Amino acid sequence: MTLLAQLAPIESPSIDWFAIAPPLALFTAALFIVLVRSIYRHNPLIRPLALLMAITGVICAGAFTFVQWLLIDADGPFSSTGPYEAIEGMVAVDGFSVFVMTVVLIATLLAILLASGYLGRERLEAPEFYVLMLCSATGMMLMASANDLIIVFLALEILSIALYVLAAFDRRRATSQEAGLKYFLLGSFSSAVFLYGVALVYGATGSTNLTKISQYLATTTILDSGVLVLGIMLLLVGLGFKVGAAPFHMWTPDVYEGAPTPVTAFMAGATKAAAFGAILRVFFGAFDLYRTDWRPAVWALAVLSLLVGSIAALVQTDVKRMLAYSSISHAGYILIGVQAANDAGASAALFYLFVYALMVFGSFAVVTVVARGGDENHTLADFRGLSVRQPMLAGLLTLFLLAQAGVPLTGGFVAKLSVFDAALDAGQYPLALLGMLTAAIAAFVYLRIILAMFAPEDGADIVRGKTRVDFGTGVALTLAAAGVLFLGLVPGRVLDFAKEATCRSDEIVAGVVAPDDNDCDVEPESGSPAPEASPDPG
Amino acid sequence: MTDFPTLTALIVLPALGALAILFVPRGRPEIARALGYAASVATLGMTGYLLHDFDTHIAAPQLGETHVWMESLGVSWTTGIDGISLFMVALTALLIPIGMLASADIDNAKSFTMWLLVLESALIGVFVSLDLVMFFVFFEVVLVPMYFLIAGWGHDNRRYAATKFFLFTMAGSAFLFVGILTLGYLYERANGTLTFDVQTLTNWAELDGSLSSSTARLLFIAFAIAFAVKIPLVPLHTWLPDAHTDAPTAGSVVLAGVLLKMGAYGFLRFAIPMFPDAAVDLAPVFLVLAIVGITYGAIVGAMQPNLKRIVAYSSVAHLGFVVLGTFAFTIEGLQGGVFTMVSHGLTTGALFLLVGMLYERRHTYEISAYRGVWKVMPIFGGLFVAAAFASIGLPGFSGFVGEFLALIGTFISSRWYAVAATTGVILAAVYLLWAVQRTMTGEPDEENDLPEINLRELCTVVPLLGLSLFLGLYPAPVLDRVEPSVEAVLLRTCVADDPATPDDDEAVVVQIRDECPEDAPIPVAAEEPES
Amino acid sequence: MSTTDLLELSWIIPALPAAGAVILLLFGKRIGEPKSGWLATIVMTLAFLASAATLGALYSLDEDKRQVVGDGFTWMEAGGLKVDFRFLVDPLSVTMILFITGVGALIHLYAIGYMHGDPRFSRFFAYMNLFAASMLVLVLGSNYLVTFMGWEGVGLCSYLLISFWFERNSAAVAGKKAFITNRVGDVGFMIAMFLIFSKFGSLDYFGDRGVLHEAGLLPNVTATAIALLLFVGAIGKSAQLPLHFWLPDAMEGPTPVSALIHAATMVTAGVFLMVRSAAFLEVSADAGMIVAWVGAATALFAATVAVRQNDIKRVLAYSTISQLGYMFLGVGIGAYEAAIFLMIAHAFFKALLFLGSGSVIHGMHGEQNMRLMGGLKKWMPVTAGTFIVGWLAIAGVFPFAGFWSKDEILAKAWFNDSYALWAVGTFTALLTAFYMTRQVWLVFYGPERRRDAGIHEPHESPPTMTAPLFALAFLSIVGGIMNLPFGKQNLEVLTEWLAPVTEAARRAPELGGLEAGHAIHPTSFVAGLILSLIALTVAIVGILVGRAVYKKGLTDEGNDPTEVRIGGFAKVLANAYYIDAALAWVVGRPATIFARFLSDGVDRRGIDGAVNGVGVLFQHAGGGLRRLQTGLVRNYALGIVIGTVALLAYVLVRTT
Repeated sequence: MTLLAQLAPIESPSIDWFAIAPPLALFTAALFIVLVRSIYRHNPLIRPLALLMAITGVICAGAFTFVQWLLIDADGPFSSTGPYEAIEGMVAVDGFSVFVMTVVLIATLLAILLASGYLGRERLEAPEFYVLMLCSATGMMLMASANDLIIVFLALEILSIALYVLAAFDRRRATSQEAGLKYFLLGSFSSAVFLYGVALVYGATGSTNLTKISQYLATTTILDSGVLVLGIMLLLVGLGFKVGAAPFHMWTPDVYEGAPTPVTAFMAGATKAAAFGAILRVFFGAFDLYRTDWRPAVWALAVLSLLVGSIAALVQTDVKRMLAYSSISHAGYILIGVQAANDAGASAALFYLFVYALMVFGSFAVVTVVARGGDENHTLADFRGLSVRQPMLAGLLTLFLLAQAGVPLTGGFVAKLSVFDAALDAGQYPLALLGMLTAAIAAFVYLRIILAMFAPEDGADIVRGKTRVDFGTGVALTLAAAGVLFLGLVPGRVLDFAKEATCRSDEIVAGVVAPDDNDCDVEPESGSPAPEASPDPG
Repeated sequence: MTDFPTLTALIVLPALGALAILFVPRGRPEIARALGYAASVATLGMTGYLLHDFDTHIAAPQLGETHVWMESLGVSWTTGIDGISLFMVALTALLIPIGMLASADIDNAKSFTMWLLVLESALIGVFVSLDLVMFFVFFEVVLVPMYFLIAGWGHDNRRYAATKFFLFTMAGSAFLFVGILTLGYLYERANGTLTFDVQTLTNWAELDGSLSSSTARLLFIAFAIAFAVKIPLVPLHTWLPDAHTDAPTAGSVVLAGVLLKMGAYGFLRFAIPMFPDAAVDLAPVFLVLAIVGITYGAIVGAMQPNLKRIVAYSSVAHLGFVVLGTFAFTIEGLQGGVFTMVSHGLTTGALFLLVGMLYERRHTYEISAYRGVWKVMPIFGGLFVAAAFASIGLPGFSGFVGEFLALIGTFISSRWYAVAATTGVILAAVYLLWAVQRTMTGEPDEENDLPEINLRELCTVVPLLGLSLFLGLYPAPVLDRVEPSVEAVLLRTCVADDPATPDDDEAVVVQIRDECPEDAPIPVAAEEPES
Repeated sequence: MSTTDLLELSWIIPALPAAGAVILLLFGKRIGEPKSGWLATIVMTLAFLASAATLGALYSLDEDKRQVVGDGFTWMEAGGLKVDFRFLVDPLSVTMILFITGVGALIHLYAIGYMHGDPRFSRFFAYMNLFAASMLVLVLGSNYLVTFMGWEGVGLCSYLLISFWFERNSAAVAGKKAFITNRVGDVGFMIAMFLIFSKFGSLDYFGDRGVLHEAGLLPNVTATAIALLLFVGAIGKSAQLPLHFWLPDAMEGPTPVSALIHAATMVTAGVFLMVRSAAFLEVSADAGMIVAWVGAATALFAATVAVRQNDIKRVLAYSTISQLGYMFLGVGIGAYEAAIFLMIAHAFFKALLFLGSGSVIHGMHGEQNMRLMGGLKKWMPVTAGTFIVGWLAIAGVFPFAGFWSKDEILAKAWFNDSYALWAVGTFTALLTAFYMTRQVWLVFYGPERRRDAGIHEPHESPPTMTAPLFALAFLSIVGGIMNLPFGKQNLEVLTEWLAPVTEAARRAPELGGLEAGHAIHPTSFVAGLILSLIALTVAIVGILVGRAVYKKGLTDEGNDPTEVRIGGFAKVLANAYYIDAALAWVVGRPATIFARFLSDGVDRRGIDGAVNGVGVLFQHAGGGLRRLQTGLVRNYALGIVIGTVALLAYVLVRTT
């Protein structure tokens, strides 16, 4: 007993539950669904009930996120704390996390809506599906607020494992199985690389906490930065894989094509958001001072992604694959924002993620409908004459595709505008030009789809028969379309939100000063005429 | 400045029309068409009011307003109109309803009318935007409706033509986009605030020292590429014949009448005033390209076996005169350029309408298919010949005024270019009269026993030709309104240096008035917008 | 209402036919035949009366005030360029409008009969009126641009009227050829205007911004350039070498058209332009001689060709070219009055001859080949009689108009010490007399060859056609009194009337410090008399030779006697020295080949090919990337590894 007495009690950290409330809300919803499912095995009501719970979970999470924003938004009326870290600095509660969470939640909500109809159509186990999706979302939320490389890794695994299963969810389709397996193998491979990177960084800086790392790097100069940079690169590989940036993209087409379309949409919209959130936080937060070291690497990734994404898509005949490749090139555009390595770039990337989630989601939603029973019919031929049989559907897809092409008056344009703004602000003229030109190449792909819908080759056999659009999908589509248009016409508020978010995140990473924080003193209430908007006389 | 936002209304009105048509049931095209006429005619009426409201003596943009749009990106909704854009807007408002009338019995009229209205709204937006990004927005949006018009209602090769048109111009505007943003950021670097307000940027950019000459040149080139594709300048022109040939009649009319002008307008409004030194330095390049366009377009056009392609290539030639006059940097030249922009919209529009009527009767554009049409359709033949001569630039038609001013203006500043370009007047006669001879004259065979032009068709062509004739005899209404604005453009180039002094190798009897008075006042922005 | 006020109403003169044209274009079908014809003729007559009134009004002013610019408006104003749309009334323009409207009215009247029964009867008269209007604008314009407007207007009408019977492909082609050839000349005219504007900042003839009386300030080079550029325009319009070849083809048009446009008025526009711009000729040292020699060469060339034409109208066409050559000869040596004199006289007798030939064609049921005519005197006496008058006039027999006018030009050439020009002119006169005699005998005398061709009996034309013949015949006889070469007795009416214009031009060089040019006057009356006698004898000889050769019409083998005599050269003449064919070879074919090369080789294959090539390129690149996408996990993993290794390599490179 003396022996026991000598042991000091282990200090367990005080847990600020509110800080992790949003992910917890989702996870709780997941648990509830499992619970209910296990109680009422064969109750037909289980389906709608699960759906209801899932949605409720998302909404609660959203509510928590919103409250968080109210409290930390320094300029907001309810500002009590301002941005802060919790749980021994493991998680950060700041505008940045809030923004990414918002994107993830929106994507999740839409995915659930889309899935609700899909699962019924394909006669798949609805509740499990929701559970997995919520778990994955939990991981993403955690990733958004993770302020410690370990947490990042945890989040990464949580979201990935759920996704692996989701990708393979449609047991009847071999392609789905294949997708799941591929994703799993490569995903774990990349996770390993990421983990190795974490280890190296820890070795170099003696910490995995982003704040501590940045402080350490700010105060001490490492004579031989090789190990550290090596670590950074490996982190880049790990996250680059998740966002599907070339050359770590090769899984994307196969997995996107094989996975159930709602899952594909979820993967494309939400995962990218979370992963990019991590990239931004890690690279801007912790390794801001080593900008010069990682920028060129990111630059290379961006260029490759743009080229591969746009060019490889040219020869595809399967719409889902086309969209997969286009998602690669979109990763490239976001990377342009990242490699600008300034606040403008960060907020541009955030805004891009927001828009991207909506437009890619919308596109896949239409594909889901057109693919019909069996989720097999998504070749270009299946879209022939869609404008005749389902004009609304064709119109919506056109909208989303044009948005992806970056045509003005859609969110896509504003998103591109903002990333190129950042790139040019950082003096990256060639990269911006390349981005625009690849956009033209990519446009060809979108035009092919549009042509198929509106002006099929003369004499080509045209698919007949409508497919009904169920309620959930309808709502999802409407929301996405409205969002894309809204962000194209009056993007002001969201842009400010993105800007706010990045600025707040600089403050949390103490010791590190944003490259140009004069960006931060924008008054969030837009609508009042900006001083520079009026022409100066003389 | 009127308190009613006329220009914004001009953009919104057709868009609203299109929106309304969206909700018309497919089965009721007549409602859609009625809405289309209502919206476009209303726009035309408002344009008339604009013409009346326009103050002839102000060089700076007027009747505009400014609102915040994307604040954090420095983008604002700034409109304004001057002598140059005024007539581009008027042309748009005129050609759209005519285009609708011309395609009265087209299938799927609902979508067709809707796209036409979207196109109108976008085009007007292009010409009234005084914020660079806003301009670019509309500059790009224009592609979408035109793309659908070609792809949806075009002829045999429409898919290829539409895609080519879209990608070609999109690739071109990539440079413009980068140029615009770069300029904005250079301004921010210098002045702290990020803005894309055209007047602010222009007044800043053209000052010596704000941009290094190499930067200015690069930016000018970036702008120029995009505009050169639109105009189009040889060798960036090949999207045009395909687009024209396979577009439906209304599409071709608007394409030739207004879309091409976006390029020339871009030069006059942005590229030249913002980077005058670069413009003046590179003027020879563009003069040469203009001459190439004039001759090349005519020669290649003459060889086309397809009637519509001939008209398409004639656009290349005509726009050559526009560029020539613009880069002459004399008031006469600039006036001529702008006037040609207007006139070409009328004459070529008429030609496309007439060719379209032939197509509706025979469903082919092949010249070899037609013979002696003049005999079976006397009125049509007369109009066709009239349109041909209007396009050739016969004095009395508007085409002559524009070409003559452009040439004489060029002659003052750069003599030999003008001499070279003048040969174009021969070639124009060659390819058009040859086409007339092969289609209109001769003894018609039985396939050519075509029904005479009907009243509706008359109503589409006659206004255009009538206007062309009127402006040919009395161009003052246009010239007077344009003069202050082109003078403003010119003065900016003068600050760079004066290219427009006649060569003094010989005693000049009457000194040509100095294009650039020493105390050339830089035309400044319009009065502060009320916010 | 003072005289000047009256003169300021000069715009009414072109307005009348213009109104007629508009009415006929819009309602022609409803007005129908023959009313529309009469309407057109009446407006022309009114225009003639108005011109006469103008003449009277102008005459009532003192010489130095005979230059009134009428009402109008500003046509183009841009920067320094200010062009008014106004009309200038001075002795020259009044002279022009008088004979344009006069002869024009007669030809309109004639056409009522000639165009009888044509389906497009009223449109024909619409075009004719439009032409008259444009021609009047041309001569009345108060600045180069308004003149140019008329210049192009007549070009348009000429195009429309030549290809009036456009069902005949040859007619359509001829019209196109005429317009394009003219267009070539117009380039010269336009560049001349540019040059004038760049030097003077104005295009007005006279008035405070007038260029003509300031021409003297120009250096010789510029003045020559301007004069010659204008002359290029004149060459195109007046069918001088080397742009003459469109005029013979223009005979595809109805005969009244040939008479009005391609003989009396439009083709003389070039002469008018040069006389109008005489100031530049005077200032320039060499331009004059070039003009004169081009004229002389053309005169000789066309006359030789006319000898071997068989188409009754083509003979007249070449003779027109030749006569125009005379006029330019006159202009070139500075005998502007003589040139105008010949222009008017020529308008009379050449219109007469054309209308006569038209009457013959009418009577011969559309036959134009002289080889199939002969002996028509008996069938159509009126036509024959009047035609013979025209023949004597053009041949230059005393006392017909042609004698006085042509003689004056030759005399001026002589007294200007340009004997070579005189010699050429005189020889041409011989040829003229010869080929016209040939025509008269082949058509009206000798055996009737029509029967072999199965053409049944000719008939005399209706009074609407013969009346103008009489009128023109009368004018051709008495026309000479306009300008009798007896200056001392003040019989040089025309010369004195034009003096304000011509003398002003001759005084132009003074402004530049050069000595003024001077009107050419006979050294002595005797010399003048001798020259006239020479001219007369030449004419007589030509006629006698012609009669001797063609007394029996064709040879028994049906060949042309001259052809038999001059042998192979005849073929050359018949084909007008193959100039047309040569041009087709030297210009036409290469141009076509080049154009084809541009459109197929450069445009389609070259540029467009490159554009599509880019697309194909990207497609291939995409294909390459697709080959990487094997679908095997190990390859994908390999991709990741490669990427990672690349990054690591980059790190090593950076940090070491």
